[in-house]
Amino acid sequence: MKAERVLAGLSCSQVLASLTDYLDGELAPDARAALEAHVRACEHCARFGGVFAAVVRGLRERLGSAALDPGVGARLRTKLGAQLDAQLGASNERRDEPR
Amino acid sequence: MTASDRELLERSARGDRAAFGEFVEQHSANVHRYLRWLVDDPNDVEDLLQKTFVDAWRAAAQARADGGARTWLLAIARRNAGKWLARRGATREREQSLEELGELAGFGDAQHTPEQMARAAEERSLVEQALAALAPPEREILVLRELEGVEGAAAAELLGLSLAAQKSRLHRARLRLAAELRQRLRAEVDR
Repeated sequence: MKAERVLAGLSCSQVLASLTDYLDGELAPDARAALEAHVRACEHCARFGGVFAAVVRGLRERLGSAALDPGVGARLRTKLGAQLDAQLGASNERRDEPR
Repeated sequence: MTASDRELLERSARGDRAAFGEFVEQHSANVHRYLRWLVDDPNDVEDLLQKTFVDAWRAAAQARADGGARTWLLAIARRNAGKWLARRGATREREQSLEELGELAGFGDAQHTPEQMARAAEERSLVEQALAALAPPEREILVLRELEGVEGAAAAELLGLSLAAQKSRLHRARLRLAAELRQRLRAEVDR
């Protein structure tokens, strides 16, 4: 990788591989401390770590809270209602059939 | 599963349509969003959404109590979207190394500042374009984990992956999303 360095016992590639675990709080405390020490000393990893976190945050915040389009909701209610009515009707007919 | 979901499903299993209607209201936006990112055709998405809830109505009595209702519904939706999922399998590309992905995502890039990338990540249309450009398995893991809030273990089960494979796919998908956003940012700067 371009600009690869080893700092605080970790290479930039190792930091890159651990960013998701770091962001999700899934690194063990000593691994977390080593990663943070590397990032404090490495401009490239500090910049990229900031970018990576911003991208994940942007995805959650920009696309994570859309409500259902009212038209889709209305069509779902209508079609689902008709289909469940048909199912209930069919099961009632079966129940009413003489054995 | 929340007490509210459990109660609504128990009442639904006894034929209570109002309870099921409430259940649909609570979860339809999430199921729709998941299907929308999985399947290209909006009409097919609506058909699959409807089929998912019909199946949920039929299976309400068997809904698993140990997982969330949303994850249970997403698993039904995923089964119903099977033919699109099968199609995606045929278009798998060569897997790039993490280092290659990191460089595409901007590692070592002195041209764009983190602030520029952060601003790009705040533009809804750019994020939508970047997500849409991902290979379907990468898009799906991001939708499940980041948009629907499905936990890692549940996502792994839903996708039929080990927990480690699920984590690896999530990490690569996040890097790929950053790479796609960076590409769009460069195109805007060059214009």
